[in-house]
Amino acid sequence: MSVPVPRSFRLLEELDRGEKGFGDGTVSYGMEDPDDIHMRNWTGTIIGPANTVHDQRIYSLKIHCDLSYPEQAPKLWFKSRVNMGCVDQRDGRIDPTKFPMLGNWKREYTLEQLLTEIRRDMSSPLNRKAPQPPEGTMF
Amino acid sequence: MNPDQAAQAAQLPRRIIKETQKLLSEPAPGISASPSEENLRYFNVMILGPQQSPYEGGVFKLELFLPEDYPMAPPKVRFLTKIYHPNIDKLGRICLDILKDKWSPALQIRTVLLSIQALLSAPNPDDPLAEHVAKHWKENEKEAIATARQWTAMHAQG
Repeated sequence: MSVPVPRSFRLLEELDRGEKGFGDGTVSYGMEDPDDIHMRNWTGTIIGPANTVHDQRIYSLKIHCDLSYPEQAPKLWFKSRVNMGCVDQRDGRIDPTKFPMLGNWKREYTLEQLLTEIRRDMSSPLNRKAPQPPEGTMF
Repeated sequence: MNPDQAAQAAQLPRRIIKETQKLLSEPAPGISASPSEENLRYFNVMILGPQQSPYEGGVFKLELFLPEDYPMAPPKVRFLTKIYHPNIDKLGRICLDILKDKWSPALQIRTVLLSIQALLSAPNPDDPLAEHVAKHWKENEKEAIATARQWTAMHAQG
Protein backbone atom coordinates (compact mmCIF):
# COMPACT_ATOMS: atom_id res chain seq x y z
CA MET A 1 0.00 0.00 0.00
CA SER A 2 1.51 3.33 -0.96
CA VAL A 3 1.51 6.22 1.48
CA PRO A 4 -1.05 8.91 0.59
CA VAL A 5 0.45 12.39 0.59
CA PRO A 6 -1.69 14.85 2.63
CA ARG A 7 -3.59 17.55 0.77
CA SER A 8 -1.26 20.46 1.49
CA PHE A 9 1.94 18.73 0.44
CA ARG A 10 0.23 17.22 -2.56
CA LEU A 11 -0.86 20.70 -3.70
CA LEU A 12 2.60 22.12 -2.99
CA GLU A 13 4.05 19.41 -5.26
CA GLU A 14 1.54 20.34 -7.95
CA LEU A 15 2.32 24.03 -7.51
CA ASP A 16 6.02 23.32 -7.80
CA ARG A 17 5.45 21.44 -11.03
CA GLY A 18 3.20 24.19 -12.34
CA GLU A 19 5.81 26.85 -11.49
CA LYS A 20 8.63 24.95 -13.21
CA GLY A 21 6.47 24.22 -16.25
CA PHE A 22 6.07 20.88 -17.96
CA GLY A 23 5.47 19.24 -21.32
CA ASP A 24 5.19 21.43 -24.40
CA GLY A 25 3.37 24.25 -22.61
CA THR A 26 0.00 23.55 -24.22
CA VAL A 27 -1.52 23.22 -20.74
CA SER A 28 -0.39 25.13 -17.65
CA TYR A 29 -1.73 26.20 -14.28
CA GLY A 30 -0.92 28.31 -11.23
CA MET A 31 -2.46 29.63 -8.05
CA GLU A 32 -5.01 32.40 -8.38
CA ASP A 33 -4.49 33.77 -4.88
CA PRO A 34 -0.83 33.32 -3.85
CA ASP A 35 -1.68 34.36 -0.26
CA ASP A 36 -4.15 31.55 0.39
CA ILE A 37 -2.40 29.08 2.68
CA HIS A 38 -5.10 26.51 1.84
CA MET A 39 -4.34 26.74 -1.88
CA ARG A 40 -7.97 26.52 -2.97
CA ASN A 41 -8.23 28.61 -6.13
CA TRP A 42 -6.20 27.99 -9.25
CA THR A 43 -6.21 29.10 -12.84
CA GLY A 44 -5.50 26.89 -15.79
CA THR A 45 -4.70 27.62 -19.42
CA ILE A 46 -5.22 25.36 -22.41
CA ILE A 47 -4.01 26.09 -25.92
CA GLY A 48 -6.41 24.52 -28.39
CA PRO A 49 -5.09 21.50 -30.30
CA ALA A 50 -4.16 21.70 -33.99
CA ASN A 51 -6.50 20.37 -36.69
CA THR A 52 -9.58 21.33 -34.68
CA VAL A 53 -11.77 24.44 -34.44
CA HIS A 54 -9.88 25.16 -31.22
CA ASP A 55 -6.52 25.45 -32.98
CA GLN A 56 -4.35 28.17 -31.34
CA ARG A 57 -7.19 29.47 -29.17
CA ILE A 58 -6.15 30.28 -25.61
CA TYR A 59 -8.68 29.11 -23.04
CA SER A 60 -8.65 30.18 -19.38
CA LEU A 61 -10.15 28.02 -16.68
CA LYS A 62 -10.89 28.41 -13.02
CA ILE A 63 -10.13 25.45 -10.76
CA HIS A 64 -11.36 25.07 -7.20
CA CYS A 65 -9.70 22.52 -4.92
CA ASP A 66 -11.72 22.51 -1.72
CA LEU A 67 -10.48 21.01 1.53
CA SER A 68 -11.52 17.51 0.45
CA TYR A 69 -9.13 17.51 -2.53
CA PRO A 70 -7.56 15.17 -3.66
CA GLU A 71 -9.98 12.65 -2.13
CA GLN A 72 -12.73 14.47 -4.03
CA ALA A 73 -12.41 15.88 -7.52
CA PRO A 74 -11.75 19.60 -7.98
CA LYS A 75 -14.42 21.79 -9.62
CA LEU A 76 -13.59 23.35 -12.97
CA TRP A 77 -15.10 26.14 -15.01
CA PHE A 78 -14.10 27.53 -18.35
CA LYS A 79 -13.76 31.31 -18.07
CA SER A 80 -13.36 31.60 -21.86
CA ARG A 81 -16.47 30.71 -23.80
CA VAL A 82 -16.21 27.32 -25.47
CA ASN A 83 -18.70 24.94 -26.99
CA MET A 84 -17.91 21.42 -25.78
CA GLY A 85 -20.17 18.54 -24.78
CA CYS A 86 -18.99 18.55 -21.17
CA VAL A 87 -19.27 22.32 -20.63
CA ASP A 88 -22.44 23.82 -19.15
CA GLN A 89 -23.27 26.74 -21.45
CA ARG A 90 -24.80 28.74 -18.60
CA ASP A 91 -21.68 29.17 -16.47
CA GLY A 92 -18.82 27.28 -18.12
CA ARG A 93 -18.77 24.55 -15.48
CA ILE A 94 -17.36 21.20 -16.59
CA ASP A 95 -20.12 18.72 -15.80
CA PRO A 96 -18.63 15.73 -13.92
CA THR A 97 -21.41 13.50 -15.25
CA LYS A 98 -20.23 14.27 -18.79
CA PHE A 99 -16.52 14.18 -18.12
CA PRO A 100 -15.43 10.72 -16.90
CA MET A 101 -12.16 11.79 -15.33
CA LEU A 102 -14.09 14.03 -12.91
CA GLY A 103 -17.04 11.65 -12.53
CA ASN A 104 -14.78 8.70 -11.71
CA TRP A 105 -12.18 10.71 -9.86
CA LYS A 106 -9.17 8.97 -8.30
CA ARG A 107 -6.87 10.58 -5.75
CA GLU A 108 -3.85 9.92 -8.01
CA TYR A 109 -5.16 12.19 -10.76
CA THR A 110 -3.48 15.59 -10.95
CA LEU A 111 -4.42 19.04 -12.24
CA GLU A 112 -1.93 18.50 -15.06
CA GLN A 113 -3.62 15.27 -16.12
CA LEU A 114 -7.05 16.90 -15.89
CA LEU A 115 -6.14 19.84 -18.11
CA THR A 116 -4.41 17.49 -20.55
CA GLU A 117 -7.55 15.33 -20.70
CA ILE A 118 -9.76 18.38 -21.29
CA ARG A 119 -7.47 19.40 -24.13
CA ARG A 120 -7.61 15.91 -25.56
CA ASP A 121 -11.40 16.05 -25.41
CA MET A 122 -11.29 19.10 -27.69
CA SER A 123 -10.09 16.74 -30.43
CA SER A 124 -12.90 14.23 -29.94
CA PRO A 125 -15.28 13.69 -32.91
CA LEU A 126 -18.01 15.54 -30.96
CA ASN A 127 -15.92 18.61 -30.18
CA ARG A 128 -13.36 19.04 -32.92
CA LYS A 129 -15.75 20.61 -35.41
CA ALA A 130 -18.38 22.06 -33.04
CA PRO A 131 -19.19 25.69 -33.91
CA GLN A 132 -17.46 28.03 -31.47
CA PRO A 133 -18.31 31.46 -30.04
CA PRO A 134 -16.02 34.32 -31.11
CA GLU A 135 -12.52 33.96 -29.78
CA GLY A 136 -11.79 35.80 -26.53
CA THR A 137 -15.40 35.97 -25.27
CA MET A 138 -15.95 35.05 -21.62
CA PHE A 139 -18.63 33.27 -19.57
CA MET B 1 -4.96 2.68 20.05
CA ASN B 2 -7.98 1.74 17.92
CA PRO B 3 -7.66 -1.11 15.38
CA ASP B 4 -7.14 1.35 12.54
CA GLN B 5 -4.21 3.02 14.24
CA ALA B 6 -2.78 -0.33 15.28
CA ALA B 7 -2.85 -1.47 11.65
CA GLN B 8 -1.23 1.79 10.59
CA ALA B 9 1.48 1.51 13.23
CA ALA B 10 2.22 -2.07 12.18
CA GLN B 11 3.07 -0.78 8.69
CA LEU B 12 5.19 2.08 9.93
CA PRO B 13 8.95 1.61 9.58
CA ARG B 14 10.70 1.00 12.88
CA ARG B 15 12.82 4.11 12.40
CA ILE B 16 9.73 6.35 12.29
CA ILE B 17 8.26 4.72 15.40
CA LYS B 18 11.51 5.26 17.31
CA GLU B 19 11.85 8.87 16.21
CA THR B 20 8.26 9.57 17.19
CA GLN B 21 8.66 8.03 20.63
CA LYS B 22 11.81 10.05 21.26
CA LEU B 23 10.17 13.29 20.07
CA LEU B 24 7.32 12.75 22.49
CA SER B 25 9.40 11.59 25.47
CA GLU B 26 12.33 14.00 25.09
CA PRO B 27 11.13 17.05 23.18
CA ALA B 28 13.76 19.61 22.17
CA PRO B 29 13.42 22.94 24.02
CA GLY B 30 10.91 25.23 22.33
CA ILE B 31 9.74 22.53 19.90
CA SER B 32 6.83 20.12 20.01
CA ALA B 33 5.87 17.59 17.38
CA SER B 34 3.07 15.07 17.64
CA PRO B 35 1.73 12.67 15.01
CA SER B 36 -1.84 13.07 13.84
CA GLU B 37 -4.27 10.33 14.86
CA GLU B 38 -5.38 9.61 11.30
CA ASN B 39 -1.91 9.59 9.76
CA LEU B 40 1.14 8.66 11.79
CA ARG B 41 3.42 10.14 9.12
CA TYR B 42 1.82 13.56 9.50
CA PHE B 43 2.92 15.71 12.44
CA ASN B 44 1.53 18.85 14.01
CA VAL B 45 4.52 20.93 14.98
CA MET B 46 4.94 24.01 17.15
CA ILE B 47 8.12 26.05 17.37
CA LEU B 48 8.53 28.90 19.83
CA GLY B 49 10.23 31.98 18.41
CA PRO B 50 13.83 31.97 19.69
CA GLN B 51 14.93 34.54 22.28
CA GLN B 52 16.76 37.59 20.89
CA SER B 53 15.06 37.06 17.52
CA PRO B 54 12.21 39.14 16.07
CA TYR B 55 10.06 36.01 16.50
CA GLU B 56 10.49 35.92 20.29
CA GLY B 57 7.14 35.51 22.04
CA GLY B 58 5.58 33.89 18.99
CA VAL B 59 4.15 30.39 18.70
CA PHE B 60 4.57 29.10 15.14
CA LYS B 61 2.55 26.20 13.83
CA LEU B 62 4.00 23.96 11.15
CA GLU B 63 3.02 20.73 9.46
CA LEU B 64 5.45 17.93 8.68
CA PHE B 65 5.00 14.82 6.55
CA LEU B 66 7.27 11.82 6.17
CA PRO B 67 6.98 10.66 2.54
CA GLU B 68 6.97 7.02 1.58
CA ASP B 69 10.72 6.95 0.90
CA TYR B 70 11.70 8.64 4.18
CA PRO B 71 14.50 8.54 5.41
CA MET B 72 15.98 8.27 1.92
CA ALA B 73 14.03 11.42 1.06
CA PRO B 74 13.70 14.42 3.43
CA PRO B 75 10.55 15.20 5.41
CA LYS B 76 8.22 17.77 3.89
CA VAL B 77 7.66 20.76 6.17
CA ARG B 78 5.93 24.10 5.97
CA PHE B 79 4.81 26.93 8.25
CA LEU B 80 1.08 27.32 8.80
CA THR B 81 1.50 30.51 10.81
CA LYS B 82 2.22 33.63 8.76
CA ILE B 83 5.80 34.77 9.27
CA TYR B 84 7.91 37.64 7.91
CA HIS B 85 11.22 35.95 7.09
CA PRO B 86 13.41 36.09 3.96
CA ASN B 87 13.67 32.30 3.70
CA ILE B 88 9.98 31.49 4.23
CA ASP B 89 7.36 32.38 1.62
CA LYS B 90 3.67 33.27 1.81
CA LEU B 91 2.64 29.63 1.60
CA GLY B 92 4.98 28.72 4.45
CA ARG B 93 7.51 27.01 2.21
CA ILE B 94 10.98 26.97 3.74
CA CYS B 95 14.27 27.48 1.92
CA LEU B 96 16.67 25.27 3.85
CA ASP B 97 19.40 23.16 2.25
CA ILE B 98 18.83 20.05 4.41
CA LEU B 99 15.23 19.91 3.19
CA LYS B 100 16.56 19.67 -0.36
CA ASP B 101 19.95 18.65 -1.77
CA LYS B 102 21.78 18.56 1.58
CA TRP B 103 19.40 15.99 3.08
CA SER B 104 21.01 12.87 4.49
CA PRO B 105 19.29 9.84 6.03
CA ALA B 106 21.53 10.43 9.06
CA LEU B 107 19.41 13.51 9.82
CA GLN B 108 16.13 13.18 11.70
CA ILE B 109 12.84 14.98 12.32
CA ARG B 110 14.45 16.48 15.41
CA THR B 111 17.47 17.85 13.52
CA VAL B 112 15.21 19.31 10.85
CA LEU B 113 13.10 21.13 13.42
CA LEU B 114 16.18 22.39 15.27
CA SER B 115 17.53 23.72 11.96
CA ILE B 116 14.25 25.53 11.30
CA GLN B 117 14.40 27.02 14.79
CA ALA B 118 17.99 28.13 14.08
CA LEU B 119 16.84 29.67 10.78
CA LEU B 120 14.49 31.90 12.80
CA SER B 121 17.50 33.15 14.78
CA ALA B 122 19.61 33.64 11.67
CA PRO B 123 17.62 34.78 8.61
CA ASN B 124 19.69 34.56 5.45
CA PRO B 125 18.62 37.27 2.96
CA ASP B 126 21.36 36.16 0.53
CA ASP B 127 19.49 32.94 -0.25
CA PRO B 128 15.96 34.27 -0.39
CA LEU B 129 12.66 32.59 -1.05
CA ALA B 130 10.49 35.60 -0.28
CA GLU B 131 12.21 38.07 -2.60
CA HIS B 132 10.64 41.29 -1.36
CA VAL B 133 11.22 40.37 2.29
CA ALA B 134 14.88 39.64 1.54
CA LYS B 135 15.19 42.96 -0.30
CA HIS B 136 13.67 44.74 2.69
CA TRP B 137 16.12 42.92 4.99
CA LYS B 138 19.13 43.98 2.94
CA GLU B 139 18.06 47.57 2.39
CA ASN B 140 16.82 48.33 5.88
CA GLU B 141 17.44 45.53 8.32
CA LYS B 142 16.20 47.50 11.32
CA GLU B 143 12.86 48.19 9.69
CA ALA B 144 12.52 44.61 8.38
CA ILE B 145 13.11 43.26 11.87
CA ALA B 146 10.46 45.64 13.21
CA THR B 147 8.00 44.29 10.62
CA ALA B 148 8.89 40.72 11.61
CA ARG B 149 8.14 41.66 15.25
CA GLN B 150 4.78 43.16 14.26
CA TRP B 151 3.85 40.03 12.30
CA THR B 152 4.83 37.88 15.27
CA ALA B 153 2.56 39.92 17.54
CA MET B 154 -0.24 39.88 14.96
CA HIS B 155 -0.21 36.30 13.67
CA ALA B 156 1.80 34.08 16.03
CA GLN B 157 -0.04 34.26 19.30
CA GLY B 158 -0.92 30.54 19.41
